[in-house]
Amino acid sequence: MNETVKSFQPLDPLLHSELRLAVMSVLLGVPEADFVFLKAQTGATSGNLSVQIDKLEQAGYIEVTKGFKGKMPQTICRITDQGRDAFAAYVEALRSYIS
Amino acid sequence: MENLSAENSLRIITETLERSRNAIAKNTGKPLILWGALVTLTSVVIWALWAKSGSPMWNMLWFAMTIVGAIGTYFMTRNQEKVPESEPKRILGCVWKWFGFFAIGLYVLLWVTALILYAQGNESVVTINLSLILSLMMGLCGAISGAVMKMKSVTAAAVVATILAVLLVLLVPNGSPLQILSFAILGVVALIVPGVIFQKKTAK
Repeated sequence: MNETVKSFQPLDPLLHSELRLAVMSVLLGVPEADFVFLKAQTGATSGNLSVQIDKLEQAGYIEVTKGFKGKMPQTICRITDQGRDAFAAYVEALRSYIS
Repeated sequence: MENLSAENSLRIITETLERSRNAIAKNTGKPLILWGALVTLTSVVIWALWAKSGSPMWNMLWFAMTIVGAIGTYFMTRNQEKVPESEPKRILGCVWKWFGFFAIGLYVLLWVTALILYAQGNESVVTINLSLILSLMMGLCGAISGAVMKMKSVTAAAVVATILAVLLVLLVPNGSPLQILSFAILGVVALIVPGVIFQKKTAK
Protein backbone atom coordinates (compact mmCIF):
# COMPACT_ATOMS: atom_id res chain seq x y z
CA MET A 1 0.00 0.00 0.00
CA ASN A 2 1.35 3.37 -0.97
CA GLU A 3 1.04 5.89 1.76
CA THR A 4 1.86 9.52 1.23
CA VAL A 5 3.09 11.19 4.37
CA LYS A 6 2.63 14.92 4.23
CA SER A 7 5.43 16.82 5.93
CA PHE A 8 4.74 20.23 7.41
CA GLN A 9 7.62 22.65 7.55
CA PRO A 10 8.03 24.49 10.86
CA LEU A 11 6.76 28.07 10.91
CA ASP A 12 9.03 30.83 12.19
CA PRO A 13 7.38 31.74 15.53
CA LEU A 14 8.58 35.32 15.22
CA LEU A 15 6.68 35.84 12.00
CA HIS A 16 3.70 33.71 12.96
CA SER A 17 1.97 36.61 14.67
CA GLU A 18 -0.73 38.75 13.10
CA LEU A 19 0.87 42.12 13.77
CA ARG A 20 4.50 41.18 13.10
CA LEU A 21 3.42 39.51 9.87
CA ALA A 22 1.54 42.65 8.82
CA VAL A 23 4.54 44.87 9.64
CA MET A 24 6.85 42.67 7.58
CA SER A 25 4.34 42.60 4.69
CA VAL A 26 4.23 46.41 4.60
CA LEU A 27 8.03 46.71 4.76
CA LEU A 28 8.46 44.17 2.00
CA GLY A 29 6.94 46.52 -0.56
CA VAL A 30 8.72 49.75 0.32
CA PRO A 31 12.35 50.83 0.78
CA GLU A 32 11.42 52.16 4.26
CA ALA A 33 8.36 53.21 6.23
CA ASP A 34 7.86 55.40 9.27
CA PHE A 35 6.02 54.44 12.44
CA VAL A 36 2.94 56.52 11.56
CA PHE A 37 2.50 54.75 8.22
CA LEU A 38 2.99 51.31 9.79
CA LYS A 39 0.43 52.16 12.47
CA ALA A 40 -2.10 53.28 9.85
CA GLN A 41 -1.58 50.22 7.67
CA THR A 42 -1.71 47.66 10.47
CA GLY A 43 -4.38 49.33 12.62
CA ALA A 44 -2.31 48.57 15.72
CA THR A 45 -1.99 50.67 18.86
CA SER A 46 1.26 52.60 19.31
CA GLY A 47 2.27 50.55 22.35
CA ASN A 48 1.70 47.18 20.74
CA LEU A 49 3.36 48.24 17.51
CA SER A 50 6.46 49.47 19.40
CA VAL A 51 6.79 46.13 21.20
CA GLN A 52 6.49 44.11 17.98
CA ILE A 53 8.93 46.38 16.13
CA ASP A 54 11.45 45.85 18.95
CA LYS A 55 11.07 42.08 18.63
CA LEU A 56 11.60 42.17 14.87
CA GLU A 57 14.61 44.42 15.30
CA GLN A 58 16.17 42.16 17.95
CA ALA A 59 15.77 39.21 15.57
CA GLY A 60 17.61 41.17 12.88
CA TYR A 61 14.60 41.13 10.56
CA ILE A 62 14.28 44.92 10.42
CA GLU A 63 16.47 47.95 11.01
CA VAL A 64 15.10 50.83 13.04
CA THR A 65 16.42 54.38 12.84
CA LYS A 66 15.20 56.95 15.32
CA GLY A 67 15.55 60.61 14.52
CA PHE A 68 13.62 63.83 14.12
CA LYS A 69 11.64 65.34 11.30
CA GLY A 70 11.61 69.02 12.16
CA LYS A 71 10.74 68.99 15.84
CA MET A 72 8.79 65.73 15.68
CA PRO A 73 10.41 62.42 16.61
CA GLN A 74 10.44 59.95 13.75
CA THR A 75 11.00 56.19 13.70
CA ILE A 76 11.97 54.72 10.35
CA CYS A 77 11.88 50.95 9.76
CA ARG A 78 13.32 49.00 6.87
CA ILE A 79 13.49 45.28 6.19
CA THR A 80 16.94 43.60 6.25
CA ASP A 81 18.20 40.87 3.93
CA GLN A 82 17.86 38.46 6.84
CA GLY A 83 14.24 39.55 7.28
CA ARG A 84 13.54 39.14 3.58
CA ASP A 85 14.98 35.60 3.64
CA ALA A 86 13.01 34.72 6.78
CA PHE A 87 9.80 36.03 5.18
CA ALA A 88 10.42 33.99 2.01
CA ALA A 89 11.07 30.87 4.11
CA TYR A 90 7.89 31.54 6.12
CA VAL A 91 5.76 31.79 2.97
CA GLU A 92 7.38 28.63 1.63
CA ALA A 93 6.54 26.83 4.90
CA LEU A 94 2.95 28.08 4.71
CA ARG A 95 2.60 26.41 1.32
CA SER A 96 3.27 23.00 2.86
CA TYR A 97 0.21 23.50 5.08
CA ILE A 98 -2.05 24.54 2.25
CA SER A 99 -1.05 22.35 -0.71
CA MET B 1 3.02 31.20 19.04
CA GLU B 2 -0.33 32.67 18.02
CA ASN B 3 -3.13 30.36 16.94
CA LEU B 4 -3.01 31.54 13.34
CA SER B 5 -4.02 29.24 10.51
CA ALA B 6 -1.99 29.07 7.31
CA GLU B 7 -4.93 30.51 5.37
CA ASN B 8 -5.21 33.41 7.79
CA SER B 9 -1.49 34.12 7.54
CA LEU B 10 -1.69 34.26 3.77
CA ARG B 11 -4.78 36.47 3.98
CA ILE B 12 -2.96 38.92 6.28
CA ILE B 13 0.04 39.06 3.92
CA THR B 14 -2.09 39.57 0.81
CA GLU B 15 -4.43 42.15 2.38
CA THR B 16 -1.64 44.16 4.01
CA LEU B 17 0.45 44.22 0.83
CA GLU B 18 -2.56 45.32 -1.23
CA ARG B 19 -3.64 47.97 1.29
CA SER B 20 -0.18 49.49 1.63
CA ARG B 21 0.34 49.42 -2.15
CA ASN B 22 -2.93 51.34 -2.64
CA ALA B 23 -2.04 53.83 0.11
CA ILE B 24 1.30 54.52 -1.57
CA ALA B 25 -0.14 54.81 -5.08
CA LYS B 26 -2.96 57.10 -3.87
CA ASN B 27 -2.83 60.61 -5.37
CA THR B 28 -0.19 59.65 -7.96
CA GLY B 29 -2.51 60.92 -10.70
CA LYS B 30 -3.26 64.35 -9.21
CA PRO B 31 -0.01 66.09 -10.25
CA LEU B 32 -0.41 64.64 -13.76
CA ILE B 33 -3.93 66.09 -14.01
CA LEU B 34 -2.74 69.48 -12.73
CA TRP B 35 0.23 69.67 -15.13
CA GLY B 36 -1.89 68.34 -18.00
CA ALA B 37 -4.50 71.05 -17.43
CA LEU B 38 -1.78 73.72 -17.22
CA VAL B 39 0.00 72.53 -20.39
CA THR B 40 -3.29 72.38 -22.32
CA LEU B 41 -4.49 75.78 -21.10
CA THR B 42 -1.11 77.46 -21.67
CA SER B 43 -0.72 76.09 -25.19
CA VAL B 44 -4.23 77.24 -26.16
CA VAL B 45 -3.62 80.71 -24.64
CA ILE B 46 -0.22 81.03 -26.37
CA TRP B 47 -1.69 79.90 -29.70
CA ALA B 48 -4.51 82.47 -29.43
CA LEU B 49 -2.24 85.36 -28.42
CA TRP B 50 0.51 84.43 -30.91
CA ALA B 51 -2.01 84.11 -33.76
CA LYS B 52 -3.59 87.45 -32.87
CA SER B 53 -0.40 89.46 -32.26
CA GLY B 54 1.95 87.61 -34.60
CA SER B 55 4.61 87.59 -31.89
CA PRO B 56 6.18 84.29 -30.72
CA MET B 57 7.24 86.12 -27.54
CA TRP B 58 4.05 84.78 -25.94
CA ASN B 59 5.96 81.51 -25.61
CA MET B 60 7.47 83.09 -22.50
CA LEU B 61 4.20 82.11 -20.82
CA TRP B 62 5.65 78.58 -20.52
CA PHE B 63 7.93 79.91 -17.79
CA ALA B 64 4.96 81.39 -15.94
CA MET B 65 3.21 78.03 -16.29
CA THR B 66 6.20 76.26 -14.73
CA ILE B 67 6.07 78.56 -11.71
CA VAL B 68 2.28 78.18 -11.34
CA GLY B 69 2.67 74.39 -11.67
CA ALA B 70 5.41 74.22 -9.04
CA ILE B 71 3.34 76.30 -6.58
CA GLY B 72 0.22 74.26 -7.36
CA THR B 73 2.06 70.96 -6.83
CA TYR B 74 3.43 72.22 -3.50
CA PHE B 75 -0.01 73.17 -2.19
CA MET B 76 -1.57 70.00 -3.59
CA THR B 77 0.87 67.67 -1.86
CA ARG B 78 1.40 69.72 1.33
CA ASN B 79 -1.57 68.34 3.25
CA GLN B 80 -1.53 64.86 1.77
CA GLU B 81 -0.90 61.90 4.04
CA LYS B 82 2.84 61.19 4.11
CA VAL B 83 3.50 57.80 2.57
CA PRO B 84 6.73 55.94 1.75
CA GLU B 85 7.99 56.48 -1.76
CA SER B 86 7.67 53.36 -3.89
CA GLU B 87 10.19 52.68 -6.65
CA PRO B 88 7.68 53.22 -9.52
CA LYS B 89 6.53 56.51 -7.99
CA ARG B 90 10.14 57.68 -7.57
CA ILE B 91 10.95 56.80 -11.20
CA LEU B 92 7.79 58.59 -12.37
CA GLY B 93 8.79 61.74 -10.47
CA CYS B 94 12.33 61.59 -11.89
CA VAL B 95 11.13 61.11 -15.49
CA TRP B 96 8.85 64.18 -15.44
CA LYS B 97 11.26 66.31 -13.42
CA TRP B 98 14.04 65.66 -15.94
CA PHE B 99 11.66 66.32 -18.82
CA GLY B 100 10.99 69.72 -17.24
CA PHE B 101 14.71 70.46 -16.82
CA PHE B 102 15.50 69.44 -20.40
CA ALA B 103 12.55 71.38 -21.86
CA ILE B 104 13.36 74.59 -19.98
CA GLY B 105 17.11 74.13 -20.55
CA LEU B 106 16.65 73.69 -24.29
CA TYR B 107 14.37 76.72 -24.47
CA VAL B 108 16.78 78.93 -22.51
CA LEU B 109 19.72 77.69 -24.57
CA LEU B 110 17.96 78.58 -27.82
CA TRP B 111 17.11 82.07 -26.61
CA VAL B 112 20.62 82.72 -25.29
CA THR B 113 22.32 81.54 -28.50
CA ALA B 114 19.85 83.55 -30.61
CA LEU B 115 20.55 86.69 -28.55
CA ILE B 116 24.33 86.20 -28.77
CA LEU B 117 24.20 85.68 -32.51
CA TYR B 118 21.88 88.67 -32.90
CA ALA B 119 24.19 90.85 -30.78
CA GLN B 120 27.06 89.87 -33.07
CA GLY B 121 25.09 91.21 -36.01
CA ASN B 122 24.20 87.77 -37.28
CA GLU B 123 20.61 87.93 -38.44
CA SER B 124 20.22 84.34 -39.59
CA VAL B 125 20.28 82.04 -36.61
CA VAL B 126 20.11 78.28 -36.58
CA THR B 127 16.52 77.24 -35.95
CA ILE B 128 15.26 73.89 -34.77
CA ASN B 129 11.69 72.71 -34.48
CA LEU B 130 11.26 72.93 -30.72
CA SER B 131 7.61 71.83 -30.85
CA LEU B 132 8.63 68.60 -32.58
CA ILE B 133 11.47 67.83 -30.17
CA LEU B 134 9.45 68.61 -27.04
CA SER B 135 6.39 66.72 -28.32
CA LEU B 136 8.53 63.63 -28.86
CA MET B 137 10.17 64.00 -25.44
CA MET B 138 6.81 64.49 -23.72
CA GLY B 139 5.27 61.50 -25.49
CA LEU B 140 8.27 59.36 -24.56
CA CYS B 141 7.94 60.35 -20.89
CA GLY B 142 4.22 59.51 -21.00
CA ALA B 143 4.95 56.08 -22.51
CA ILE B 144 7.64 55.41 -19.87
CA SER B 145 5.17 56.42 -17.12
CA GLY B 146 2.69 53.83 -18.33
CA ALA B 147 5.38 51.15 -18.56
CA VAL B 148 6.68 51.91 -15.05
CA MET B 149 3.18 51.81 -13.53
CA LYS B 150 2.39 48.66 -15.58
CA MET B 151 -0.61 50.34 -17.20
CA LYS B 152 -0.82 49.57 -20.90
CA SER B 153 -3.69 52.03 -21.44
CA VAL B 154 -1.44 54.90 -20.28
CA THR B 155 1.39 53.84 -22.62
CA ALA B 156 -1.11 53.51 -25.48
CA ALA B 157 -2.53 56.98 -24.72
CA ALA B 158 0.97 58.48 -24.81
CA VAL B 159 1.80 56.80 -28.12
CA VAL B 160 -1.48 57.99 -29.71
CA ALA B 161 -0.92 61.53 -28.35
CA THR B 162 2.63 61.61 -29.70
CA ILE B 163 1.54 60.48 -33.18
CA LEU B 164 -1.24 63.11 -33.26
CA ALA B 165 1.05 65.87 -31.92
CA VAL B 166 3.89 65.04 -34.34
CA LEU B 167 1.45 64.87 -37.28
CA LEU B 168 0.12 68.31 -36.35
CA VAL B 169 3.65 69.76 -36.11
CA LEU B 170 4.65 68.24 -39.44
CA LEU B 171 1.47 69.12 -41.32
CA VAL B 172 1.30 72.83 -40.49
CA PRO B 173 3.94 75.25 -41.81
CA ASN B 174 7.06 75.56 -39.66
CA GLY B 175 6.86 78.54 -37.32
CA SER B 176 3.07 78.65 -37.40
CA PRO B 177 1.34 79.30 -34.04
CA LEU B 178 -0.79 76.24 -34.76
CA GLN B 179 2.21 74.00 -33.97
CA ILE B 180 1.95 74.97 -30.33
CA LEU B 181 -1.40 73.15 -30.13
CA SER B 182 0.55 69.87 -30.27
CA PHE B 183 1.09 70.43 -26.53
CA ALA B 184 -2.66 70.75 -25.98
CA ILE B 185 -3.07 67.28 -27.52
CA LEU B 186 -0.26 65.88 -25.36
CA GLY B 187 -1.59 67.68 -22.28
CA VAL B 188 -4.99 66.04 -22.62
CA VAL B 189 -4.06 62.60 -23.95
CA ALA B 190 -0.64 62.00 -22.34
CA LEU B 191 -1.16 63.77 -18.98
CA ILE B 192 -4.82 64.33 -18.04
CA VAL B 193 -6.13 60.96 -19.29
CA PRO B 194 -3.34 58.93 -17.58
CA GLY B 195 -3.81 61.06 -14.44
CA VAL B 196 -7.51 60.21 -14.34
CA ILE B 197 -6.72 56.51 -14.98
CA PHE B 198 -4.16 56.51 -12.11
CA GLN B 199 -6.64 58.19 -9.78
CA LYS B 200 -9.45 55.77 -10.63
CA LYS B 201 -7.20 52.75 -10.23
CA THR B 202 -5.85 53.80 -6.83
CA ALA B 203 -9.22 54.96 -5.50
CA LYS B 204 -10.52 51.37 -5.56
